[in-house]
Amino acid sequence: MRPEQVVEATLFASQTPLTASEIARADERLEPERVVEAIQWLRNRYEEYEHSFQIYQLGDGFQILTRPEFAPYLERFDSVPRSPHLSPAALETLAIIAYRQPIGRIEIEDVRGVNASSVLRTLLDWELVEVVIRGEGLGRPLLYGVTQKFLEHFGLKDLAELPAPDELPVILGELQEELEEKEAAAVAGTVEQIEESGGEGEPEEAGENEQVMPFELSPGS
Amino acid sequence: MNVTAPRRAPGMHQVEPFVVELERFQGPLDLLLHLIRSQDIDIFDIPIAGITEQFLAVLSDGIEGMPLERAGEFLEMSATLVRIKAQLLLPRPGHPDWDEDPRSELVRRLLEYEHFQDVVHVLAGAEAQRGRHYGKGYVETRPSPMAFRPTLELNLEEFMLIAARVPEPLPPPLVSPPSQTVSVEEKVSLLRRLLEGAKRVSFERTFKPWGTRPHAIAALLAALELARQQVLRIEQVQPFASIWLLRKRSRDGRSGEQGSAPAEEAPAPAGDDSEAEGLRSKGSASSGKEEGE
Repeated sequence: MRPEQVVEATLFASQTPLTASEIARADERLEPERVVEAIQWLRNRYEEYEHSFQIYQLGDGFQILTRPEFAPYLERFDSVPRSPHLSPAALETLAIIAYRQPIGRIEIEDVRGVNASSVLRTLLDWELVEVVIRGEGLGRPLLYGVTQKFLEHFGLKDLAELPAPDELPVILGELQEELEEKEAAAVAGTVEQIEESGGEGEPEEAGENEQVMPFELSPGS
Repeated sequence: MNVTAPRRAPGMHQVEPFVVELERFQGPLDLLLHLIRSQDIDIFDIPIAGITEQFLAVLSDGIEGMPLERAGEFLEMSATLVRIKAQLLLPRPGHPDWDEDPRSELVRRLLEYEHFQDVVHVLAGAEAQRGRHYGKGYVETRPSPMAFRPTLELNLEEFMLIAARVPEPLPPPLVSPPSQTVSVEEKVSLLRRLLEGAKRVSFERTFKPWGTRPHAIAALLAALELARQQVLRIEQVQPFASIWLLRKRSRDGRSGEQGSAPAEEAPAPAGDDSEAEGLRSKGSASSGKEEGE
């Protein structure tokens, strides 16, 4: 077996991100560095052959995921569990922690201007944040930081992928454009769907009529 | 929580500069920032008097019924606004803070909060983007089967040994026998009799000769009933091992009570519906038909 194949098989069989050293356990010949090389080789190959999936890095783990352009097809399966969207309060709190970690509850509340204890508890439950250290000062407050799961949830390699504060307006401009495009696409999609369902409505009615007819006829016959 | 609409309904022409639903806002900073940005106010030169008035107007419409803690957060901001307003009206020359604009701390907080709102948008975008990637196991076209959780750890050999002991299902009878009822009473007396002759009896022996499921059910109910009456003890040394019924010494030294059940009934398959009252097994009325399963 070629190392690339072993790495591919391991990634294929996993439902969660795997780190390079976790993948290396599959084969004595594999070193984490070699795994990373193999992943790069596989990535190029998937790109070249236009596979519908790719190997993505989430935090320090790697996972095979479908490419975003296939999402509309997959979402037709109504059993597909949608990844939950976080509430504005949760996003706000995560944003502050991601940029200011390690940070205590009081400092988070100072920035938000509102109490943060319940949202912090939720984020801890979901393992999106964790207590990283105890701070100095009165009561040695718990200081929070974001976790590997945070990176996985937002599809980030590391926190450096988040824009630096002075880059934010530029990124937001791009994001805005993208969102507008998406909205336009979504509107077009809805129209299509309405047309489709309108088309399907008629044969259904015809079917009902067929069922009714024999019923009406039977008393006479 | 927006009580604005019903309250305003009678006086439709009442002039209000904005309709702002308090509920929409994360907190006082969010609301304040919205008031400033939606009116294109220069954040470095906030007309405190006007903004305070608007802030209080929104608050008075929406604060009713709001949880106390959340209401407190908004009220604290109103107090801050009123204090800044007072400081602007009453300059104190000579005071060390005189040089500083009383609004500057609020402006700093607003800008900081706005910065994090930008980060929130970036994160929400990343979240949406991540949501468009699917991993293995997402598409499930069939209902997922009940999770298979073996409760026992067995190796293959142990499993085979146990499987070999499971009786072969009987071939379906050519002619369905008439429905038979097995009474628990019969089994009770059978058990009593067997235990008179031996200290312990294999549970299988109490129904195996008849072979039908109603007999097994009646025997089990009888064994449980006698265990409840302290006549016997049920033992199984390990899962799937044979079940043994052990005679229990009654208090006066004799084994079990005598004569409390009719002992005449033969341990042969019951051919008729016995008149056993009370302890008749509910599940015993089934016929031999289900044996072919």
